[in-house]
Amino acid sequence: MHIRSFLLALLLCLLLPGVSAAQNATPQATADALQTSAYRAAALRTGPGDTYQIIGELNPGVQMRILERNAIGNWLHVARPEGSRTALDGWVMTGFLNLSPALDFGTVPVNSTLPDADLSRLDDDRLARLYAVPVIPAISPAMVEVYERGRLLQNQPTVVTKVGDSLSANPYYLETMSQDDYVLGAYGYLEPTLLTFGPSLAGGSVAARVGLSSLVVFDPTWADREQCQPGEAPLYCEYRLKHPAIAVIMFGPNDVRSMDAERYHTQMERIVQDTLALGIIPVLCTFSTHPDERFYWQSLAFNTELVALAEQYEVPLINLWSAARALPAYGLDVDQVHLLNSGFTFIKYDTGHESWYGVSLHNLLVLRTLYALQQTLGMA
Amino acid sequence: MNRKLLLLCLLLVPLLLAACASAGDPADTVERYLTAKVSRDEATISALLCTEMEADLPREAQSFASVSDARIEAMQCSANAGADSVTCSGQIVAVYGTGDSASDVIIPLVTYRVVQEDGEWKWCGETAPPAP
Repeated sequence: MHIRSFLLALLLCLLLPGVSAAQNATPQATADALQTSAYRAAALRTGPGDTYQIIGELNPGVQMRILERNAIGNWLHVARPEGSRTALDGWVMTGFLNLSPALDFGTVPVNSTLPDADLSRLDDDRLARLYAVPVIPAISPAMVEVYERGRLLQNQPTVVTKVGDSLSANPYYLETMSQDDYVLGAYGYLEPTLLTFGPSLAGGSVAARVGLSSLVVFDPTWADREQCQPGEAPLYCEYRLKHPAIAVIMFGPNDVRSMDAERYHTQMERIVQDTLALGIIPVLCTFSTHPDERFYWQSLAFNTELVALAEQYEVPLINLWSAARALPAYGLDVDQVHLLNSGFTFIKYDTGHESWYGVSLHNLLVLRTLYALQQTLGMA
Repeated sequence: MNRKLLLLCLLLVPLLLAACASAGDPADTVERYLTAKVSRDEATISALLCTEMEADLPREAQSFASVSDARIEAMQCSANAGADSVTCSGQIVAVYGTGDSASDVIIPLVTYRVVQEDGEWKWCGETAPPAP
């Protein structure tokens, strides 16, 4: 009996650590996933955006812990506890960090108290007006009504299209979402959205073309002769061909060179009105601009017109301008007009591209906005 | 009687010819309109645009504002019999951007609607080509 008790105790002693290790496996993995370090020196700020004060520099290799993220995940709140105190505590752009392959932003707490910009540090009203607009829009009840009306008009709930100039015509913009070999990295929470809308973005759009402007998108001269009917403008042609539920619309970089802000407002308003009339949700987008560029202040005025339109019609507005301010050269290519491509023909967010390339950031912001629409509208 | 009829005809024929001449050639109107459009000649565009499309004048005048070196290559237009339309061959060619990132914009010419207003042919947008 003693021998049997001894053997049983021995067996339990041998088994229990294993059971204990198995029980701890998942939490341990999660804790490990929250460990991070910078792979190059990075500014540590008081909040998730370039207007927040820099409070230190994160040196490469210093181990930090991820505490929370912004609504997108492209800014992370990190800290380094040392004994009873916290040695470093601040926000850093995600693209500067080594992230665990096991990290999923879907499990990281989202900070909902800090806005995307610290307006108290801005002394220019024009900049403050733009920075005040969230990077990712809240979806208004008015868009629920538009979506439901669109369903009655046979619009396709999983179809998104793009409308715009050469920045939108760029095949690296949105069309890459249709590729199967995507790598979302820690942005795995966006995968259902990518799978829902991605296929509809293959093949581009007849309303996104080099040389288009908010004026010319109504000119049948610029329509695709193979797909559009005689006299049909590119905008209406695209909507007829795709019956989308959502149209991501960005004009400005061309327009700013050929019209004033009043005309731009008129044209963009017409696009918004006509899109809404067809039961399609227009997602507007501010555009990035370089302070050294000749039309810089005019570009800010145009973006401000977009803000006014979005408020007036309660349509979603992605604030690319604001988000791109933190990127090298504002996310722009050497011509200071077009956004910089990463060169990858598929979505790739495991190596921080969203913090370096304007097109990668733009894609991420659209994907995150589609996620918000999907959550609000209950799309398939 | 026959002399009077002949005299009447002789008087009417020049009048009819004059009327036709003042209306001009619809193909010529279209060619001049398209040329004005690519060169952003607002005065000519305004003169040749039909009343129905007057509100589109700003768009027509600025259609090629985002590109440079816009021109028409191999334009040939001819009026379609029995229809108020003109079919053109050729293409509009322009350049977008500068330097290494410059790209060509090519827009083929198609069939255009024409209308007569106050004895003049006016350009009035695109239309389907006549059935063969």
